[in-house]
Amino acid sequence: MGVGGKIRDWFDVRIGLGDFVNVQFREFRVPRNSNVFHTLGLVTVVAYMIQVITGILLLVYYIPHPDFAFKSVQEIMGSVSFGWLLRQVHVVGSSLMVVVVFLHMASVFFMGGYRKPREMTWVVGGLMFLITLVFCLSGYLLPWTQLSYWATTVVTSIPTAFPYIGDFISKVLRGGEYVTGITLGRFFALHVSILPPLFLFLMLLHIFFVKRTGLSTPPFGLSAEQQSPWTEYRRETHPYGYPFYPDFVKKEVFMGMLYLTMMFFFITFFPTLFLPEEANTPADPLRTPSQIRPEWYFLVPYQLLKLIPNKFIGITLLILLVVVFLLWPFLDTKKEPNILKRPVLKTVFFLILVMLAVLTLWGSYR
Amino acid sequence: MKRRKFLKVLLGLLGSTIVVTLAYPLVKFLAPPEAESKTRKLVLKKSEIPAGEAKGFTFNNIPVIVINRPDKGFIALSRVCTHLGCLVTYERGKRILLCPCHAGMYDIEGNVVSGPPPKPLQKFPARVEGENLVIG
Repeated sequence: MGVGGKIRDWFDVRIGLGDFVNVQFREFRVPRNSNVFHTLGLVTVVAYMIQVITGILLLVYYIPHPDFAFKSVQEIMGSVSFGWLLRQVHVVGSSLMVVVVFLHMASVFFMGGYRKPREMTWVVGGLMFLITLVFCLSGYLLPWTQLSYWATTVVTSIPTAFPYIGDFISKVLRGGEYVTGITLGRFFALHVSILPPLFLFLMLLHIFFVKRTGLSTPPFGLSAEQQSPWTEYRRETHPYGYPFYPDFVKKEVFMGMLYLTMMFFFITFFPTLFLPEEANTPADPLRTPSQIRPEWYFLVPYQLLKLIPNKFIGITLLILLVVVFLLWPFLDTKKEPNILKRPVLKTVFFLILVMLAVLTLWGSYR
Repeated sequence: MKRRKFLKVLLGLLGSTIVVTLAYPLVKFLAPPEAESKTRKLVLKKSEIPAGEAKGFTFNNIPVIVINRPDKGFIALSRVCTHLGCLVTYERGKRILLCPCHAGMYDIEGNVVSGPPPKPLQKFPARVEGENLVIG
């Protein structure tokens, strides 16, 4: 027996590792008609781990103080060996993570994976999507650039649309009337010590729900099992499906590599795509840049706020959309799980995708 | 009251006390620090801003623009856009104040001309005292 086998045996005798792998991974089966979109959940885990590792390494040189933040980031990019690479991976990774989480949610929606008994899985996933955006927002301020300063000013002004409590919320977020070093400290704490464990907790909860209910079957070509009413707990076991390990894991590894390929494609061929000129100009609290635009994933709310003249209505509409998105499994009461057989829902789904694309493009071209 | 119920009530009371005891300092800790006194005045030389021109200052930590209107004299306005807090800039040719974030437009009195701002720019008292201009 080789060294690897001996180590495996050592663990097996003590904690029953083989049994654990068999029960949790080999006997956990995925549906035969599972597709590439089923892998996006684990690609999100890979993306998150990359952000955590690069984030921890960037902390070694980053200084969260308005007098030093910009300089320390410039040093990471220019003086620290491979600092540019770690920061690029972190920056590009944040955008790619938003894409992956969005694709994951869109595909789950399209395949009806949010339906009973997976409502909680959807809600937790939706919260993780929102936290990903808060991650992006809080991390955006840390380099203390013109872009980050003014994007944060705009976003922390949003609560002021609400009477009575709006100003207080805005002041708590900023730690005062304006975005200052206190805001930087708050966002830094949020980004590195509050959001990561929160996201990790939700991720584990999400995985727990997926394990307890089993992977959902795409509703195209319905199984009899899905037609029957779900009145008590039962797990979708997919007895004729593929084992999660090793079959599905191979697919996951392939997708993880594809994710890394995409990341290094952007870093190599479009190094300034996510770091435009304003992202290399130190923050000036007395000058708002003329071409200020948020990151691409915030262009939808940015453009909506531009189009809707009343701030209160605009922001209330945004919040309503988020609430509908999170609670959709409870609002969708139709029995038919196949979206292709529901013309209204199908049209709304594609219209939303088109609207998101149009608002993003519109916002980026002013 | 039975012992079991008494213990439950006691546990609830102690738990609530602990939550309140911890919540109060937490809320105070996260609340923004007290703002500095806003009673200071800003004194400028009138000659710094010729007729038709404008100049930016910081007054009590607020970015302010002082405009010398050829017909009505000096006016001091906050540069903070009432929409989402970006700083407006003075467009001399058009005699307007423009916000670069969502294209909010104000006239030189600070009134909203177009765009999403919900209210006029904040005005500050400005008076001429000899060769000086006193803001605040």
